[in-house]
Amino acid sequence: MRAAVRTGWRIGAAAALRGRAGRPLSQAAGEGGEAEGGGGGSGSREAVERLVREHPVVVFMKGSPAQPLCGFSNAVVQILRLHGVEDYRAHDVLQDPDLRQGIKNYSNWPTIPQVYLNGEFVGGCDILLQMHQNGDLVEELKKLGIRSALLDAEKDQEKK
Amino acid sequence: MRGPVLAAAGEAMGGAGGPLARTIRAKLTAALQPTHLEVRNDSPRHGGPPGAETHFGVLVVSGRFAGLPLLQRHRLVHEALRAELAGPLHALQVIARTPQQWQSDPHAPPAPPCLGGSKREQRRG
Repeated sequence: MRAAVRTGWRIGAAAALRGRAGRPLSQAAGEGGEAEGGGGGSGSREAVERLVREHPVVVFMKGSPAQPLCGFSNAVVQILRLHGVEDYRAHDVLQDPDLRQGIKNYSNWPTIPQVYLNGEFVGGCDILLQMHQNGDLVEELKKLGIRSALLDAEKDQEKK
Repeated sequence: MRGPVLAAAGEAMGGAGGPLARTIRAKLTAALQPTHLEVRNDSPRHGGPPGAETHFGVLVVSGRFAGLPLLQRHRLVHEALRAELAGPLHALQVIARTPQQWQSDPHAPPAPPCLGGSKREQRRG
């Protein structure tokens, strides 16, 4: 339910960025076409910057956390879930071709999914998996003030 | 390791593969001088028809990665395959280790299963 509401908000926001005339705002403002934006609008550097900063944990993926549409995106969702991270921003790039290209331009990274912690790009599924396996993810989450659920799981085991 | 030895090892590991597989192997070898290299075509696992070359996984063991964080290691791999990633290479799984790391743990995790991806592009909710 929450995911559907969030998706609706995102689509609405993307439409707002495009302006009433339906043209991307950056072009409407008279600026020359920029190669770096994914066609302007929701894929522009400014728009992506806003998205990566809107929450400590932001994921660009295919599908949604409730229904990932790609094995690599699903792996990211599952890893976050293992750490008890359920409150994060997830953006479905399949819904927005401009964002899909724009996020790749922004991070200079060719693939989806992409994980941002505190506005900073940390990598895709492979890197997140290795961070999970070597303990780095627990540390990075701690820096964001997020306590990984795995720490509590360990404590429970020690009690037994 | 010299070129011919690596090429022979590559052939033994997974066969020559298609043209893109050979290109990937050649470019990674030239860029990173790996001591161990595996190039795996995952396209069939993602619903690709026979002969498809769209989804690959690479395991690269190279001294060039020493001292580099994972992000930088992966960027080196991407840089070597920039043209392919802008073209037919749709997905790329990367394992990038130093020779020491590979020696202490000569195993790589399996690729995650495909869940349909772009074939299921449609508006939802």
